[in-house]
Amino acid sequence: METVTMQALSKTYPGGKEALKQLSLSLGAGEVFGFLGPNGAGKTTTVKLLTGILAPSSGCCSIMGINPNTQPEKAHLLSGIVTEHAQMYDNLSGIENLIFYAAAFGLAQKDGKQRAESLLKELELTEAKDRKLATYSTGMRQRLSLARALLHRPKVLFLDEPTSGLDPESAQNVNQMIRNLAHKEGITVFLCTHQLRYAQEICTRYGLIEQGSLLSSGTIEELRTQAFPSKSLQIQASAVPESLHLTKCGTNEFTAEIQDKQEIPHLVRKIVEAGGNIYSVNLVQPSLEDIYFALTAGKKED
Amino acid sequence: MKTAMYALIKKDFRGVASNRRLFSALLIVPLVLTIILPSIFLVTIHFVPDNPDVANLLSLLPEAAGMESLELTLSSMILNYILPVFFMMIPIMTASIMAASAFVGEKERHTLETLLYCPLTLKQIFQAKVWASFLLSMVVSLISFTAMLLVMETELFFLMGKLILPSVNWLVVMLLLSPAISLIAVTLIVRGSAKAQSVEESQQSAVFLILPLILLIAGQFTGVLLMNVWILLGLGIVCVALAWILLQKSMGRFTYEKLLQ
Repeated sequence: METVTMQALSKTYPGGKEALKQLSLSLGAGEVFGFLGPNGAGKTTTVKLLTGILAPSSGCCSIMGINPNTQPEKAHLLSGIVTEHAQMYDNLSGIENLIFYAAAFGLAQKDGKQRAESLLKELELTEAKDRKLATYSTGMRQRLSLARALLHRPKVLFLDEPTSGLDPESAQNVNQMIRNLAHKEGITVFLCTHQLRYAQEICTRYGLIEQGSLLSSGTIEELRTQAFPSKSLQIQASAVPESLHLTKCGTNEFTAEIQDKQEIPHLVRKIVEAGGNIYSVNLVQPSLEDIYFALTAGKKED
Repeated sequence: MKTAMYALIKKDFRGVASNRRLFSALLIVPLVLTIILPSIFLVTIHFVPDNPDVANLLSLLPEAAGMESLELTLSSMILNYILPVFFMMIPIMTASIMAASAFVGEKERHTLETLLYCPLTLKQIFQAKVWASFLLSMVVSLISFTAMLLVMETELFFLMGKLILPSVNWLVVMLLLSPAISLIAVTLIVRGSAKAQSVEESQQSAVFLILPLILLIAGQFTGVLLMNVWILLGLGIVCVALAWILLQKSMGRFTYEKLLQ
């Protein structure tokens, strides 16, 4: 089922800056969609359009069939939003903040308190819950924001750089939590980040955006095929026959460009049959980072 | 979404009430106006020697007829004609402090965006903000009124040996006119705070544009008090209607985008 859809979504700011150009995408339930791009690419603008904070210049979008531009309050009931500009009250404690937002989302007092307590526990903030927010570190604020976004059990979660400012342990914990939410509860996660390694850990599908245009979208395999049509194979072997046309890159080290995995056993057999000794065969899997740079570089060449 | 609006009102109200320094500052001016000032009047009336010129002047007033002494006439005039005017101003002054930072204060603390992500329409958020400031002004106004009445009646009793009942005007002022005028002022100031770029700007425009205008109208009010209570009642109803229209229409052209700019 499609939970988030965008059709030719465009946004031009009053100053004339085209922040988003003709973006078309659709997300399904339980999907963790990584929206990747450098600062100023249009990621935050997209989130603001999808949450009804900005009105699109043209095109349209919907959250579970609701247009966030015309019915933002209904869209907000279905979405949880974490962005760096959405802070909470410094003069209230962690739990007081959550109880307030729970009430603002229409939760009954008792439910709100219970939900807040369980989220605080899950995000390891129970010890700090009675401290004023003013004393929280950036990472703690970030985790509390995530708790706030999850209070009303949203169907769609918008996360704008959720792990910036988190230490590695907390980041891992948050990742695990997001993965579980998507996997077990079927929540759609729209994750904006420029931390590619982090995205690769949890996303099931990606969209690459630069200067307001979507460069490409798909699973990591799809993007890999698109960015690198041929695969690179690293072989450590002795006495490799010249007829195989491998590129030599050191003593007993070779690389081969192949189109398909099926070519590997064939290649290995030939080396062995020619009397060579194989020490290692390694199919190079380009990381998301490699793919990203290959695709953005490709775009620039066009 | 009544719960949500109620939560927002409670949060805003607590924000001021829990700040003891601010809250006591909010109470000091009204208490000076309604306790110290009337006390000085009463003591002066009691201890100054009788002046026949003043007596002649006062005897022209219709109120003089029913009163036993000059002292009581003067005291009753202060209670029923001068002091109600203060209760037109006190709620406006009190509410303006909170109202001026309603939206722009949230914006400066980066909490406005979070608030906008709640399932409330802009109109509901706006109205919740207005009610919070209005409620605070009514609480301060009520505390001041009770304190004033207690102190004045005690003083009257000990100085002149008699109590003076507040006139029916008070009822109209406290229940209709003062809340309505306060609501008009709060709505205008909260609306201004949605347009302002900083709390200072919002406070300045509230203090320099809206407050003088409303205080001017309130200041002319002594004359109205001398007239019929029905005129007062009519005026009150007009003000309530105006306040209601403002509250409903003020947020019409605002968008999230405009608010966050």
